Amino acid sequence: MIVIPCPHCSVRNASEFRHVGEAGSRPDPATVTPEQWRAYLYERSNPAGWTTETWFHTVGCRRYITVERHTVTNEIRAARPAGRDGRGGREPAEVLSTRADSGSPDAGGQA
Amino acid sequence: MARSPITVSGPRSVVHGWEVSTRRSAAALRLSDASPLAKVSVRADADGALADALGVRFRGSRREDGVLVIGSGPGEWLLVGRVGMAPEIAEKVRGQGEGEFATIVDLTHGRALMRLSGRDAARTLAKVCAVDLSDDLTPDGAAFRTSVAKVATDVVRDDAGGGAGESSYLLHCERSSGQYLFDCLLDAGMEFGVEPAGPHLNQDEPAR
Ligand SMILES: [Zn+2]
Repeated sequence: MIVIPCPHCSVRNASEFRHVGEAGSRPDPATVTPEQWRAYLYERSNPAGWTTETWFHTVGCRRYITVERHTVTNEIRAARPAGRDGRGGREPAEVLSTRADSGSPDAGGQA
Repeated sequence: MARSPITVSGPRSVVHGWEVSTRRSAAALRLSDASPLAKVSVRADADGALADALGVRFRGSRREDGVLVIGSGPGEWLLVGRVGMAPEIAEKVRGQGEGEFATIVDLTHGRALMRLSGRDAARTLAKVCAVDLSDDLTPDGAAFRTSVAKVATDVVRDDAGGGAGESSYLLHCERSSGQYLFDCLLDAGMEFGVEPAGPHLNQDEPAR
């Protein structure tokens, strides 16, 4: 069982979250090459060790969070709100803009 | 006439246009359907002027002028008040934001609300909810959203709405899950002698 320390809600069972995947920054669509875009969409490093990934707290704060997890031991050494700090994978506002029911001006980003 | 998503059983009457149960219970553990109470959702900047005016952040709650203000998420609040009071609550919040962008929606008819009160309320809830309900981590006034019987539920510990010396919890979920959650809580409370009871909806008891 994985227990995730949500920075908004405190410690919760992983069954309350949706695993989004490895965190990474989205290349600029104006300058990206097809190869870079393909890598962004499909390639994952999938290490046996520490990885930085995005989780969505579906049954809690409904925010994206960035988690540093060891894929072998499932130890978690850091969890922070995803987004605006530039390290948290997809920008929550960008993701939420595709969902009609979730438009909140402060989506993610607050510590 | 407005109807709660939770079936009314036993004696009933109509209160402010809602059909409600009038069953009274003296059991040590009671579950009542409080869905007719006014529920207003507010979403705004988690640290803005409206947040300051509401006076409570995520994971807390407080009472003001007969309204229970619940910090139900980061930048998200639920205001619970007397039956029929939703327009009044929404209007008051609208005047508090100092022009800040906010979303204020009356959710009264879209959600289910129930109250579990009694000495064994925490033990009952612990059977279907993984959050630590001890006084240290979930004191009176604490609010959180989590899985209760696998339903995404806003939980508020609101002892003022229960009997003297008892703990009491408000549980708020989507309307379509209301009957299921109600039945699950009755099932979980069976070993503690839970009884369904009608809600207290009079003027002095905003969220009982
Ligand atoms: Zn959370």
